[in-house]
Amino acid sequence: MENAMSTSQGHGQATASRAGGVRRLIARYPFLPALAIALALLALNGLYQPRSVSLIGLTGLTKTYMALMLLAIAQTYVVYAGDIDLSVGAIVSLVNVVLVVLMDRWGGGAGSILVAMAAGLAVGVACGLINGLVVAALRLQAIVATFATSIFFTGLALWVLPVAGLPAPAAFWRTYGGRFLDVPFVFYAVVVLAVLLYLMARLRLTTQLLAVGDDAQSAYQSGLPVTAVRIKGYALCGVFCALAAFCITGDTASGDPLVGGKMTLYSVAAVVLGGAALSGGFGTVVGSVFGALIIGLINSLVYFVGTPSEWQNLVQGLAILVALMVGVLVGRREGR
Amino acid sequence: MSKLILRGVSKAYGATVALSHGDLALEAGEVHVLIGSNGSGKSTLCKIAAGSVRPDAGEMLIDGSAVAISGPQVARAHGIGIFYQELSLAARRTVEENIFINDLPLKAGLFIDRKALAERAARYIALFDGVAGEGFSADATVESLRADQRQLVEIMKTLATEAPILIFDEPTSALDRAQVDRFFEILRRLKEEGRAMVFISHRMDEIFAIGDRVTVIRDGRTVASMPVAETDPAAIIRLMVGGQEELAAPASPHAVPDAAPDAAPAGGETALAVSGISGPGFADVGFELKRGEILGFGGLHGQGQSAVLRALFGAVPIASGTVSLRGAPVRASNPAQAIAQGFAYVSGDRRRDGIVTGRPILENVVPIHYLRQRLKLARPARLREAAKPAMEAMKTRFAGFSHPVDSLSGGNQQKVVIARWLIDRPDILLLDDPTKGIDLSAKADLFALIRRLAAEGMAIILYSSEDAELLANADRILVFNGGRTVRELRGDERTRYNLYQAAYEAA
Repeated sequence: MENAMSTSQGHGQATASRAGGVRRLIARYPFLPALAIALALLALNGLYQPRSVSLIGLTGLTKTYMALMLLAIAQTYVVYAGDIDLSVGAIVSLVNVVLVVLMDRWGGGAGSILVAMAAGLAVGVACGLINGLVVAALRLQAIVATFATSIFFTGLALWVLPVAGLPAPAAFWRTYGGRFLDVPFVFYAVVVLAVLLYLMARLRLTTQLLAVGDDAQSAYQSGLPVTAVRIKGYALCGVFCALAAFCITGDTASGDPLVGGKMTLYSVAAVVLGGAALSGGFGTVVGSVFGALIIGLINSLVYFVGTPSEWQNLVQGLAILVALMVGVLVGRREGR
Repeated sequence: MSKLILRGVSKAYGATVALSHGDLALEAGEVHVLIGSNGSGKSTLCKIAAGSVRPDAGEMLIDGSAVAISGPQVARAHGIGIFYQELSLAARRTVEENIFINDLPLKAGLFIDRKALAERAARYIALFDGVAGEGFSADATVESLRADQRQLVEIMKTLATEAPILIFDEPTSALDRAQVDRFFEILRRLKEEGRAMVFISHRMDEIFAIGDRVTVIRDGRTVASMPVAETDPAAIIRLMVGGQEELAAPASPHAVPDAAPDAAPAGGETALAVSGISGPGFADVGFELKRGEILGFGGLHGQGQSAVLRALFGAVPIASGTVSLRGAPVRASNPAQAIAQGFAYVSGDRRRDGIVTGRPILENVVPIHYLRQRLKLARPARLREAAKPAMEAMKTRFAGFSHPVDSLSGGNQQKVVIARWLIDRPDILLLDDPTKGIDLSAKADLFALIRRLAAEGMAIILYSSEDAELLANADRILVFNGGRTVRELRGDERTRYNLYQAAYEAA
């Protein structure tokens, strides 16, 4: 995030001076095309609905798409290693219902909320570990194996809470939607997330995941514990799925065993929009966050432009395709 | 007491024996040269010592005590560092990250200590100061480097293990003279420190420049070991050749007596004339190929043989030079054009260049038929009729055309790939190491067929990484070295000795 700030200025200067500088910058910060697309979309949003770029509008946008950003981050760590996780949405659903049911059962006080969140985090990690074991230790195909676990996790979620609608305690969603010292809570969350991502980019695990995704055979021959690294990637993914579930619970204020299902492929799209290679070894978490923002901004723009409801999906799909193409074209010409 | 001893080590992949009886005794303070022809098992022996290949049998001793190396991490813990011939680098990671990828210095137990990493990496990068070339820096990604620079990174990575036993599997193949000299200075210094080093090279002069002891491997078996000072290049080549000095033709198990090379029609018309072609990986290659002739491409792996074949097939661009078919100049800019001109190409890398995985056998036999006949609609019954004779010619064993091609063995898969070219006969058949990883009986079938095709007038180029196959089947052999043809072996000259000498000596 800190990098993103400093380079968005640097980007402007370089365009003015020489194309070689742009190429170097994109090679160094592969999320720049995604950032540019996100900023352009934000401007368009402002054009069609000036209120959308006000503090309240941005708060609403962040509140709604925080979950997708976190899910895109979750997916990125798995994609780093050349794997994929098609169960992220199901994990979000499972953590969401576990959280809501536990908070409900334990009375909904501050203490019970914290303990329930810890339990939710544990569920996320456990799901990630299961995925990691199935994919890395049992060596099943990641796409199919995590598709299977997604059905399994959804089944668990339906067992925990068979029907949607159990409300979350007011203390929980009021905090998520509320303000501290006149600043919306979600902005604190963004700052904490930025610091967290800044630190995580420096983790040894991050470099190991990228090395495994780059060439698993080379990584193995270099003596890296390839299986353990991939499992850790999935576990990390589980952690961020749980965080995404917290946000979605704060946003919807209720439990729904199917709430995350649709988000899975959005998270994959966000990762690709952010400039990561699905084959592994290359990408940035920050890029994936911008990728998620692009999807969110497209959704709101389609709404603000006044697209008739029956056309919204079509336009939305086309817009995501266009964003992908722009990202690929810019990346190919200027960068790699 | 020897630093490292490997005794009776073996490894087989299915029916293919990579190493049948490897022995090696490595002393501290020596550079121990391993030499052997293509596929003799040198790399397998090295990988077993480094833990990335698990042996089927044999024992390994370090400092006199038996050790079980179950993986690369265990080998590292036992003090073995290795330079992999095919390199073990992460292309998108930086030079310094690659050097220490297995031992990244940490802060707080979790985070990479960038400063310490840079300092430690700088020590190894400094070893090649002045010879590393333009663009080489600690924070450059490996993918941005040239082949020689990547090789230097792999060398630095190996040195950075600071292991008492260092294995270098062809570390100098892409390096220039100055880089090799610097590398040898480093090796001499390490020798003085008492490190034990294995060194594989295909340049005879390097072996005599740096080696203390040489061990010769032939057909997966260690056949001799002696001090370098007590031998000479000719003696080493004789050891690599073994007792097979004779012209290896009809004696070979693959050979079909009635179609021996000598029986091939001599003085047929010229089918293909290539003159001075250059491109990525080859330079100034020229030859003529007659109808009914099998021309062998020989030499060590990756000396441009495959590149020339792929270039003729239009898969690799030709920068300069001319190719003419029956006297008329042609130039194929993609494989479809080459196929239309009458070229056929069979690669040893079936999964990448051959079979369509997961699809039925029939679909794998007919694609070229489609292309040549410009078929638009599939009529399975008629396609089966067309495919059948081709499959029978290959003696392919298969249960039915509708079974997936993956259900076949490697040898039978390769037969399917070759069969696809036989429905509409090509004029020129390019065989790019076609027998890689297939069993002996399938090989015999394959070469019998190739002989028959040649006898029927097809012009064939055969590149094989197995020298025995080449000697047994080629009428003439062009030996490649560094992308150029260095020698042509005809008639009685086609001996293992001459083949090895041309491949190793010339440079």
